[in-house]
Amino acid sequence: MEYLLHILVIAGIYIILALSLNLIVGYTGLPTLGHAAFSCIGAYTSSLLALNIGLSPWIGLLIGACVAAFSGIVIGYPAVRLKGDYLALATFGLGVIVYSIAKNWVSLTRGPMGLPGIPGFSIAGFQLSEIWSYLLLVLVFVVITIFIINRIVNSPFGRILRSIREDEIASQALGKNTIKYKLLVFIIGAFFAGIAGSLYAHYITFIDPSSFNVMESITILLMVIFGGMGSISGSMVGAVILVVFPELLRFLGMPSSIAAPMRQMIYGLLLVVLMFKRPQGIMGVYRFK
Amino acid sequence: MLEQLILNGIIAGSIYALIAIGFTVIYRTVKFFHFAHGVVYTAGAYFAYTLIFLLHLNFPLSFFLSIALSALLGIGIDRFVYYPLRRQNASNMIFLLASFGVFIFLQNLIQLIYGAQILTIRTGPVREGHHFLGAVITDIQILILAVSIILMILLWLFIQKAKLGKAMRAVSDDPIAANIVGINPEKIILTSFAIGSALAGAAGILISFETNIEPTMGFSALLKGIIASIIGGIGSIPGAVLGGFFLGLAENLGIWKISAGWKDCIAFVILIIFLLIRPSGFLGTKTEKETI
Repeated sequence: MEYLLHILVIAGIYIILALSLNLIVGYTGLPTLGHAAFSCIGAYTSSLLALNIGLSPWIGLLIGACVAAFSGIVIGYPAVRLKGDYLALATFGLGVIVYSIAKNWVSLTRGPMGLPGIPGFSIAGFQLSEIWSYLLLVLVFVVITIFIINRIVNSPFGRILRSIREDEIASQALGKNTIKYKLLVFIIGAFFAGIAGSLYAHYITFIDPSSFNVMESITILLMVIFGGMGSISGSMVGAVILVVFPELLRFLGMPSSIAAPMRQMIYGLLLVVLMFKRPQGIMGVYRFK
Repeated sequence: MLEQLILNGIIAGSIYALIAIGFTVIYRTVKFFHFAHGVVYTAGAYFAYTLIFLLHLNFPLSFFLSIALSALLGIGIDRFVYYPLRRQNASNMIFLLASFGVFIFLQNLIQLIYGAQILTIRTGPVREGHHFLGAVITDIQILILAVSIILMILLWLFIQKAKLGKAMRAVSDDPIAANIVGINPEKIILTSFAIGSALAGAAGILISFETNIEPTMGFSALLKGIIASIIGGIGSIPGAVLGGFFLGLAENLGIWKISAGWKDCIAFVILIIFLLIRPSGFLGTKTEKETI
């Protein structure tokens, strides 16, 4: 039971990540391969604040999300000026840069040793140490994220995003400053990814750079593509399936030296098969141009 | 110290240049980012390991066999993944993501077969290197440098002089016109994949004589190859060589003052500076700038 709840917490965190990436990739059509960088920044910011100056995780979560959003400006500024393949490569590179900062700035992040003993959340003196209470907390954040992303994509702002996705030059011709909108999308996506990273850090209570590597970014992207590009329910389904499915491998009694590469092989194969059969994903409305 | 860093930069640069040329040869004909190129590099090293240790072949024979196997792997990836996608007229991003999928799949297949631990091909004691202009160079490093320069010259002659090489240039410049004059594009694509993958495999084998090998080695090598070909000017073979050596030197001189862990970071910072300020690279043309 404990195990099942744990899987649900992880799935909830991935839903937030997939939704925020879907806003960038699925709704605005910007292929991004470095989303884990934003959650890395959120996670490290709030963990370091909690460990070094004893700041409450609640405030840490908010500051972490804001720092991640700010990094969305820094990362987005060069990225939104590029197109297609080059945008993918640049965001990929920025992901690697953030990862190697987390790994090499040892005096701040302790590098590959990671940060142990990150305190958990508490409400009015009541420590959320029980796993079900944490699940409730994550669910609250998932609902808030779904609500906000849903409002964004169904607003006039969301329509501009879709118009950029379908034809950027046409939206420029209509007088829309597409660079500004693309940058805004990066900031919003980074903000939610920062929240997810912070939730993860205070839940697991230990983070190291390898939790936010390139494979992690690819996994989140795979969730978005598999579930459906430009579909909120698709991202939720994609995240849940791709979190739960590899866990089934455990029940086949595979040792982890086989199960770990096996899981990634399945991810790789799934990506190839999706590109062949259904590049827009199960519930998607958009495929990469 | 400085001399040694420059030498290390040149050795690393020759490996990056080999990967970058292979990447460029493929990019010129298919015009998308072939990410699975990195896993061909890894496979080259593991082919050499298998042939030398499990089949007990000698070094030169296993070197050439591994190059041939890498070329076959490249052709196989094209036939089984890219060819069906081409027939669907898939977009560049779809090719890119599919090649990423192939990369992840094959890298983990290698890990499944050989395990995640590092392996060593080098046998016998490490011999002291030769002193050369204030730096130390080992026999293996001389071999790496010599073989990569020979491969670069051979490729250049092939592209410039051979009939097939000329056809490759024609397809790269204008695929439709090339088709009209009777060049079969599929044949050219297969040739490009064979040559490009052979070069990546060669780079993997050469590096495996110098350092340890592990399943994840292709990742950073691939990125360096792509970065080298972009800063050299995407699609230009001399540019790829220039970019490779530039990147190797920049990385190794960069770690003069800071720790070696920052190499990847340096490489990507260079890439992003180039993409923003001079996206066509050192030797790229104006038309390619528009696609960026």
